[in-house]
Amino acid sequence: MSEAQTNVKVHVDKVNKSYGSNHVLRDISLDIKQNEVVVMIGPSGSGKSTFLRMLNQLETPDNGTIVVDGYDLSDKKTDINKVRENIGMVFQNFNLFNNYTVLENIMLAPVELGKMDKDKAEKKARELLETVGLAEKADVSVNSLSGGQKQRIAIARALAMEPDIMLFDEPTSALDPEMVGDVLDVMKDLADSGMTMIIVTHEMGFAKQVADRVVFFESGKIQESGEPEQVFAAPKNARLKEFLGKVMHA
Amino acid sequence: MFKKCFIIMVGLVMSLLSLSVVQMHVDASQPHYTISTDATYPPFDFQDKNNDYIGIDQDILKEIAKREGFTYTLKPMSFNAAAQMVTSGQADGIIAGMAITDERKEVYDISTPYYQTGVAWVVKKGSKIKSLADLKGQTVALKTGTAASEYGKSLQSKYGFKIKYFNDTDTMYNDVVVGNSVATFEDMPVIQYAIKNGMKLKIMNSNHPGNAGWYGFFVKKGDNQALLASFNKGFSAIKKDGTYNKIVKKYLGATQSTFTGSAKDNHSVLGILKANDSAFMRGLWQTLLLTILGIVLASVWGIILGIMGVSQNSVVRGISTTLIYIFRGLPLMVLAFFIYIGLPGVIGAKIPAFTAGLITLILNEGAYTGAFVRGGFEAVDKGQMEAARSLGFTYNRSMRKIIMPQGLKIMVPSFINQFIITLKDTSILSAIGILELTQTGSLIVARNSQGFRVWAIIAIIYLIIITLLTWLSNGIQKKMQ
Repeated sequence: MSEAQTNVKVHVDKVNKSYGSNHVLRDISLDIKQNEVVVMIGPSGSGKSTFLRMLNQLETPDNGTIVVDGYDLSDKKTDINKVRENIGMVFQNFNLFNNYTVLENIMLAPVELGKMDKDKAEKKARELLETVGLAEKADVSVNSLSGGQKQRIAIARALAMEPDIMLFDEPTSALDPEMVGDVLDVMKDLADSGMTMIIVTHEMGFAKQVADRVVFFESGKIQESGEPEQVFAAPKNARLKEFLGKVMHA
Repeated sequence: MFKKCFIIMVGLVMSLLSLSVVQMHVDASQPHYTISTDATYPPFDFQDKNNDYIGIDQDILKEIAKREGFTYTLKPMSFNAAAQMVTSGQADGIIAGMAITDERKEVYDISTPYYQTGVAWVVKKGSKIKSLADLKGQTVALKTGTAASEYGKSLQSKYGFKIKYFNDTDTMYNDVVVGNSVATFEDMPVIQYAIKNGMKLKIMNSNHPGNAGWYGFFVKKGDNQALLASFNKGFSAIKKDGTYNKIVKKYLGATQSTFTGSAKDNHSVLGILKANDSAFMRGLWQTLLLTILGIVLASVWGIILGIMGVSQNSVVRGISTTLIYIFRGLPLMVLAFFIYIGLPGVIGAKIPAFTAGLITLILNEGAYTGAFVRGGFEAVDKGQMEAARSLGFTYNRSMRKIIMPQGLKIMVPSFINQFIITLKDTSILSAIGILELTQTGSLIVARNSQGFRVWAIIAIIYLIIITLLTWLSNGIQKKMQ
């Protein structure tokens, strides 16, 4: 591989996806470089979440190519579980494991998948809890946490596997407004540390502040993408203008 | 913790199974037969106060076996099931006050007739019924599969009565005594003995028995000719030397207490309990053994079915769905008869009643368990699986570590419910002659006619076990939460 290619963490080429007659993604192509923070915006049902979920194969494309970390996901020989170990994902509804404590949630994957022994995993987990500001919650049941706390634990759980790429699927949409700030702060620190991040969100302020690139999805297509200053200050696409008019106004 | 529990349970099951399959050691030099009989047909076949099977049939068989030098295992059950045991090859022969008819000659080879009989028609003592014509529009109780019931049925269109079928003699009599049915048809010597022993019934045709005929010993047509020959030879010997007459006189000349114990033993709950304590204990043990083995094995099988039901492989899922559909759809008794009486004829091997009963429980209760286990797994939030997969867990690891522990917790109340149902369902297995609690009750009632007291005792024993089981289950549930 050449120098230029190794720098590309995610390569997507002409990907399509339909649910029955509903064509949710049309010929999507996108490259994401190492350390890049890409924020995907757009109205509900525009296909941005489906696209995100394809990057770790929670959804499979009908056709097209997706290469993550040099692994072609459509290749049958690719062990998707190995690829996923390097891609952390944070969900809108947290999806913390209800049958484990906070600490166990974070330690489970590294220990189960043989990445760390128990002691090392616990040390790592406690560090991460410190990072997300919830060190005192190590031994409580996940059901006793607030939404904002749950989402920070979910981020810590994903980070425990020491991934190269983090995917965020509307991480603040299910939170009470006063909880949003804490989660975004953790994400911002993560971006500053150089993590490659792909984020689906409706938080335009956060996008402006943190994104290297903003991608606007509408009707299953990438209508416009560019640096946040350009996308938010001088949008070219008519639909993007209309969308921004609605969300910025609100 | 699950793994540990599982290993302990499997170990327990194995040891219990090995206990139950220990066979009686049989002297190889003597031929050994399995003989089925009607469990409740005094004075021909019934249990005495010591819970031994006695009666005219039993004494004749014992004498003949002694003289002809063969041994046998007796299988007492409902008459109809006992007869089918022979045609399906589960038993070698049947002696059960069974009348010789042309229809039976088609499927059985039959011994020398050993007892002359005829059909009586019977009403409640003090009944207003005076003739068969009075039966019009009324209900008549008959016993499934007997020659007497065939005779009764042949009169149905002429006299216009309704028929209600029973599986054992005693319940049939009691149906007439309490007035649910107005009359019944039964073999003359049987009803005479019952009336003599206090059954409040009246014979309407003492001098003109219907369909006069003979009882015989039956083997499956073409099979067990050596057994049949032994029976005939032995029978002519006991007839000649007067043993036969002594046997008949012993039973027809006796009063109830000779065989069934004193009034003191039979007319109070405590007396019945005392007189039958070993029978109750044995019945209770069989019920408990069936329940415990049934619960453990059906749970294991049900969990396997449930896991198959959420498999990624559509063929495996299909197998699970089909098995659940079939065995949840079949009534427990049909399944029990199919396995115990139907299957051996096809596979050519005998299946012991206990094993057949246990298999029935596993298949039926397992199907119900499988359905709620699958449902429990499906009820776990989809996001849990996605989160596990996103971390790099395989499907199986996600199921094991995340979905199953949560699903099983959801299922605990369903499991407890199923355990209680399993305990109650063991009573249905009395139909294939397993001597569990319910069958024990039937046998005691057949002997002492104390339906109310005996069934009250049996009901209370069930309630006590169910209470203990619920108690235990709730304790486990609390510990799990």
